[in-house]
Amino acid sequence: MANRNGQNHSSKPDDLTDLGARLDAAKSKYEVVPEIKEDGSLLGQAWRMSTELVVSVMVGLGLGYGVDVISGSAPWGILIGLCFGFAAGIMAVLRTSAKMDAQNAGVPLGDDMPDDEDE
Amino acid sequence: MANDPMKQFEIKEVAELFQIGGQTISWTNSAFWMVVSAILIVGFFALTTKRKLVPGKMQSLGELSYEFIANMVKDTTGAEAMKFMPFVFTLFFFILAANLIGMNPYAFTTTSHVAVTAALAVFTIGVVIVAGIWKNGFKWFKIFAPSGLPFIMYFIIIPIEIISFISRPITLAVRLFANMVAGHVMLKLFAIFAAYLAAKGGIIAVGAIVPMFATVALVALEFLVAGLQAFVFAILTCVYLNDVYHVDH
Repeated sequence: MANRNGQNHSSKPDDLTDLGARLDAAKSKYEVVPEIKEDGSLLGQAWRMSTELVVSVMVGLGLGYGVDVISGSAPWGILIGLCFGFAAGIMAVLRTSAKMDAQNAGVPLGDDMPDDEDE
Repeated sequence: MANDPMKQFEIKEVAELFQIGGQTISWTNSAFWMVVSAILIVGFFALTTKRKLVPGKMQSLGELSYEFIANMVKDTTGAEAMKFMPFVFTLFFFILAANLIGMNPYAFTTTSHVAVTAALAVFTIGVVIVAGIWKNGFKWFKIFAPSGLPFIMYFIIIPIEIISFISRPITLAVRLFANMVAGHVMLKLFAIFAAYLAAKGGIIAVGAIVPMFATVALVALEFLVAGLQAFVFAILTCVYLNDVYHVDH
């Protein structure tokens, strides 16, 4: 079968695989930037965790104060409320960071970082 | 020139509308810019979605923003939460538009008032509570008491869970409002400082270059913060919506 371009085969799948192979060869010349999927920027996560910690302590304190005012049990309400608020804040931060860890499980960090020098 | 960095947050009454129980409801500059941001968003999406099969530049932007929020809801909460996607979408773009409008000179930053951000946050948590009870009945309250703990632990865990739940709307409101206020005050302070130094004249005026550059850098930072805080608000809404669907966590 005569081909206009003088090639031996003209069936479509062959052409496509040939093109694919050439594309792959061309692509391999360039550095492939790995896509790291991030759930929000790091600054956003930092903001999130810090406000969670601070506000939880404040809410615990406020609830404790409210209990004090209503039942006249000062200063125990504030003290216990502060402790619970602090615990809630730490727990919220730990929860958020555990979620962040789970999301970044596939992302190389620290010692696992691939060496760039041998390129 | 206004020398008071807090003056930009002043609410000015434009017109008195009506009274409810002795409280005057008035049309203010804040209300005006809220309406402007709402009109801008609706206008943007109304003008850009011509539903062409091959999207143009502006339609691509609209479609990208849809996909951005849709993926956020899907990844964070799950496909079953797509019912809430319009809500998250509206929240994100309203806050984004309000923040970005606030970056313009002479415009008012509506999100710099805790009344506005608290209204958004309380409404968000209200949606979570109502949808949670609607869907799970009173079993929804199990989010305060995770199963599988020794009995005594519940005396500690339940107050902690309640405190962390109450702190959610507060964190949402305070984070957004504090970011906007702090950024705008800093911007104004540096700008005023530059103007003072320049007005002194002589060799001191040369020093005005430093706060000038700081102001320029802060403007860039503020644009980042404007987008970031809208994003954080939206993604935390998705995280909190988790409690509607996953009661046993």
